[in-house]
Amino acid sequence: MTTDSKSMHPGIHQLKRDLQNGALSRRAFLRYASLLGLSTGTAYALSGLPLPKNAWAASPQRGGVLKVACQIQKITHPAQFSWIMPSNILRQVAEYLTWFGADNITKPMLLSSWNASEDLKTWTLNLRQGVTWNNGDRFVADDVVFTFNQWLDKEVKSSMYGLIGGYLDPSGVEKVDDHTVRLHLKRPEIALPEHLFHYPAMVLHHKSFEGDFLRAPVGTGPYTLETYKEGEVAILKARKDYWQKGVDGKPLPYLDGMQFIDLGGDLAPQIAALKSGEVHMIDASDNPGPVVMKSVKSDAHIQVLPVTTGTTRVLRMRVDQKPFSDNRVRLALKLCQNREKILALAFEGEGMQGQDTHVYPSHPEYCQVATPAYDPSRAKQLLAEAGYPKGLAVDLAVASEWTDVVRYAEVLKQDALPAGIRINIKTMPTSQYWEKWTEVPLGITPWTHRPLGTMILNLAYIADEEGKPVSWNETRWVDPEFSELLVKANGTLDVEARRQIFCELEKIQQERGSIGIAYWMNSWMCASQKLKQITAHPNLYMLFNEAWLES
Amino acid sequence: MAKFIVRRFFLLLLTMLLVSVAVFLITEASPGNVAKNVLGAFITPEQEASFLAQMGLDKPAHVRYTHWLLGSDWLADGKVGLALKRVTNAEGFVDWWAVRPNGDLVRWKLVGEDLIAVTQPAAGGEAVESVDNERWQAGTDGAQFAWGVDTANHVVRWEKGTDIEVWSFVVGTGWMKTTGGPVEYIPLKKGFIRGDPGVSLRTGRPVADTIFTRLRNSVVLAGIAFVIVMPTALLLGMIAGLKEGSLKDRILSIGGMMFSVIPEFATGIFLILIMAVWLQIVPGATVFGEKAPWERLDMLILPVLTLTLVELGYILRITRASMVEVMKSPYIRTAYLKGLPYWRIVFKHAVRNALMAPITVIMLHVNWLMGGIVIVEVVFGYPGLGKYLLESALFKDINALEAGAMILVLLAVGTQLVADIIYTFLNPRIRYA
Amino acid sequence: MSDGEQATTADSAVDDIPPLKRDRRSVFTRLTEGLKFIWASKTATVGLFLVLFWVFVAIFAPLLTPYTPLEQDWKNPNIGPSKAHILGTDELGRDLWARLIYGARVVLVVMPVTDNLWIPGGTAIWGVIVALLVGTTLGLVSGYHGGWVDEITMRLLDAMMAVPIILLYMIIMAALGASAINVVLAMTIVGTPGIARLVRSLTLDIRTREYIRAAETRGESAWYIMFVEILPNARGPIIVDAMLRVGYAIFAMGTLGFLGLGIPPPSPDWGSMVAKGREFILSGSPWAALWPSLAIATLVVGLNLLADGIREESMRYQ
Repeated sequence: MTTDSKSMHPGIHQLKRDLQNGALSRRAFLRYASLLGLSTGTAYALSGLPLPKNAWAASPQRGGVLKVACQIQKITHPAQFSWIMPSNILRQVAEYLTWFGADNITKPMLLSSWNASEDLKTWTLNLRQGVTWNNGDRFVADDVVFTFNQWLDKEVKSSMYGLIGGYLDPSGVEKVDDHTVRLHLKRPEIALPEHLFHYPAMVLHHKSFEGDFLRAPVGTGPYTLETYKEGEVAILKARKDYWQKGVDGKPLPYLDGMQFIDLGGDLAPQIAALKSGEVHMIDASDNPGPVVMKSVKSDAHIQVLPVTTGTTRVLRMRVDQKPFSDNRVRLALKLCQNREKILALAFEGEGMQGQDTHVYPSHPEYCQVATPAYDPSRAKQLLAEAGYPKGLAVDLAVASEWTDVVRYAEVLKQDALPAGIRINIKTMPTSQYWEKWTEVPLGITPWTHRPLGTMILNLAYIADEEGKPVSWNETRWVDPEFSELLVKANGTLDVEARRQIFCELEKIQQERGSIGIAYWMNSWMCASQKLKQITAHPNLYMLFNEAWLES
Repeated sequence: MAKFIVRRFFLLLLTMLLVSVAVFLITEASPGNVAKNVLGAFITPEQEASFLAQMGLDKPAHVRYTHWLLGSDWLADGKVGLALKRVTNAEGFVDWWAVRPNGDLVRWKLVGEDLIAVTQPAAGGEAVESVDNERWQAGTDGAQFAWGVDTANHVVRWEKGTDIEVWSFVVGTGWMKTTGGPVEYIPLKKGFIRGDPGVSLRTGRPVADTIFTRLRNSVVLAGIAFVIVMPTALLLGMIAGLKEGSLKDRILSIGGMMFSVIPEFATGIFLILIMAVWLQIVPGATVFGEKAPWERLDMLILPVLTLTLVELGYILRITRASMVEVMKSPYIRTAYLKGLPYWRIVFKHAVRNALMAPITVIMLHVNWLMGGIVIVEVVFGYPGLGKYLLESALFKDINALEAGAMILVLLAVGTQLVADIIYTFLNPRIRYA
Repeated sequence: MSDGEQATTADSAVDDIPPLKRDRRSVFTRLTEGLKFIWASKTATVGLFLVLFWVFVAIFAPLLTPYTPLEQDWKNPNIGPSKAHILGTDELGRDLWARLIYGARVVLVVMPVTDNLWIPGGTAIWGVIVALLVGTTLGLVSGYHGGWVDEITMRLLDAMMAVPIILLYMIIMAALGASAINVVLAMTIVGTPGIARLVRSLTLDIRTREYIRAAETRGESAWYIMFVEILPNARGPIIVDAMLRVGYAIFAMGTLGFLGLGIPPPSPDWGSMVAKGREFILSGSPWAALWPSLAIATLVVGLNLLADGIREESMRYQ
């Protein structure tokens, strides 16, 4: 990548103008410029922000085995992951084309760079050279094409399909040469590089992968998978020939290995293990909550790295079933959320209030909307208009292991009573909730952080080409106006214009959408002070290539 | 005596059979969708059907139960026409093969419309692939079919020339659509009574691999707790029982009762709070990783202590009651009257008789003890059988659940049998017809 | 506490019961006599007081607290004992004392069938009553009829008893889901075999008595003999056993709540309270888990002491 302004994407000039006339914040400029292929250093230079230097002071020591408390789930196909935890284990073994950290700025990983055409429909991916798989093979374009085909294969049922299938067909993936892949998109899309770091998007080895990663654990990452025992332990060993180099000039990683130990889903033993130093950290990526943080924050041996995230709990109402087919009923239930109270009790105040629209205030295109007030009398009136003058009784499905969800439900139940909505909380084991999370009429579903507003809206609130709700659309809510606006937003580069569209999208979702969002959750990475050079990612992804242990 | 033991042994088998049927029926009757649980909520109906077929879950309940209990290989080898053999390969994965008369191992796969035989020569060496289309037989409706062992441990009926479209995975290309393909699966297993509890739905690995380590861990935990609880409880119980109503007696029996009725999970978590978090003298959770429990005995302190506190009071009270009764009995009074020294009376006459009731009751108590172990394992994250069972029950992982249930029943009934035998030895007046 | 305990004590207790034909004394006299009987034993008295304390607070719960168990004082979650909340509050700012005594209601006085339907009789009580009904019937039929009926029933019950209780709980509750009815069902299945065994052994003994033979000669039906002649005369040990069982049932509700399989929220039953409060112990708010643990302990101790005392006292009558 060069800084030569001729090779830069024309959009970057527009971004630069926006930056200069104040329409765009420096952060947002950085983010978009790097999505368009501008290298991070150049982007920082143009933005006028100082390039953040790693504040890591001490020089790393080599050696040591990092121990993580983490559930060891059954896995087969990485593209089928629906949990972050298994991806955190394999993240150390296999890698992604791009990555982004807490700054939300997308950087190349297995790519060395990328460029987008002016219309954002043709993307050229330049592969990093000199990367080898842990079986000795060279990393080539065939691997990337193979992996894209896996994602785009409907039969694999990857959530990647929902993310990129809308703008990319298998026929649009072209191998130019051994180190270049070109993507021909059906419609403009700016978030493509960010999509490549979605947790199921691990690059797979085209020669050995047969649908079960454990049978052929071939990856380009810094560790090899030695043992993987579901429900027990996963053991990783450092590779000697990894492509990234440490500050001492030798290949990363600094650690000799990693161990992921399954202590069950219950947090108490994990907290106890962290406090007594038996594990170095807890992988809380799939069940983030303030409990771990509150229990360890006063412990001098433990570092607590906070991060604000767009992870949330979605009160979702199926619009194809009574009574939530009537928007007045949906609105009534949404009005029963006393957001300040819910946030305080369910999440101990450690987050931001939500506005019933699945766009998070730190999403670049977020448009400021008012937070709806708790108004049971208006809710009651709406119910009466909808034909429920005596109120109504509904079952609310929640998984008992997410205790903040249960508390949310309990607060909602209490606050909905004055409006005449009698909520009957149905708790079930988490595995049973996931069996039917798309099926229950009313439930609270955890949704993880995603860096762009469009990513989530495309995943959960639209229909596919045949007009059926897409598979992650748990509420079956499809609104023609909303879908049309969203397509427009996907292809709009100008952030101000994009935000204008989002104002409307958010308003529609607030007024006639199918979800209530009461709070956005903060997350914490809680780890031993001995563990150095780690950063907290909003998804609590473990990006630990440079981590080291103080002996 | 022998007759009695044989009778009890058959009772044990009957119990296990009944329990296995009951567990099967209850799990069967409960709502839930195994396919969605395993593959996620987004599978299509076709994928669900295909998954159920491959797991053998599309078959009627009685067939599945029979397969689980007795195995399916002896049913399936007739279809293939060759003997079937289970081997564990170098990476530890279990593979089923058909055995050719010359000893070569063979499996098949369908590529396009060709049946490919993968032959592992008996002499060793690399597996050889060859086209083996002679296996096709003419079906009734003009289609052709073939039976064989596939590479994922099923006996499969492949069909070609039918309208059925099947997706299959081809290395390097991805999923391919073919017409015809596998239409019936019989998952191969040896069956529970032949020592194969099958594959866990939750982990996708053989239940036997996991369950024995888990059982071992639980036995270590329970064993240590038992070794500590028994002598302590018997001793304290006898001390309390010697002088009924004394202060010592009151303190011991009320104290023991208090601890035995605080729920295990509460005792456990408060012990963690006090011992591990405030005082920081012992680890508050059990983290073994690759290690076995006995290599990290410090981690067992709190779980064992929890079990001890809960169990101690109960056994103490039984021993006490028994001691009280014995001390009131005529022969002790006679011994007193004969002027024998107090300690001699206690040790020679009272203890032996007073131990009889507690020992048998304790053996019967194993059933209850297991409950305590499950809870303690969950509280401390201990990788034992109890936690495994709970997770399996919540996931409706039938094979794991059945295997765990059978082990628990075996232990419970087995200890009852042992209790009966011990009782007979301690009390020669009892004769079993 | 396994069923072995009852098996060893039942046989010795049955002889002490005089064959009561028709007790024509007034309820009051019988009550005072019963109380005198309990009063004679210090153990039983202490036990009775503990149990009565919880029954009392359960019945008069609304009068003993200005709060309801569901009211959320959301500015004050997870605080320790204070003037406003004598035992502190839970994670949703609900008053722990109010929850504790309303929880005693759920355990001892009313059962929440659904959110809107509450029936009298606590959840633990119902668990024992249903188990008693089923177990007693099976035991009576088995013991009185004898022969193959007895053989088959007892073998089946043996098999049921051999199944570890915790396994039964896990399978039943995981299969049926969390609700008060299912808690009762689980407790019934677990309790029935022990009760049936006890009743059978009592029946075998009473069957040989004169007055049973007299009734048979009179031509009374088998059901009449079982329920009118045998059962009232076997009631002593059954009542003692039932008391202990209420204790186990409370304990079981706690265990089920802990496993996430108990009565769904926001029920204030003690098991769920401990299960939810447990999360906050390590972060420095142990109160929400402490009080219900102690409540379970004191009530179960009370029931145990009461049962022990009665048993000891009846032995002394010999």
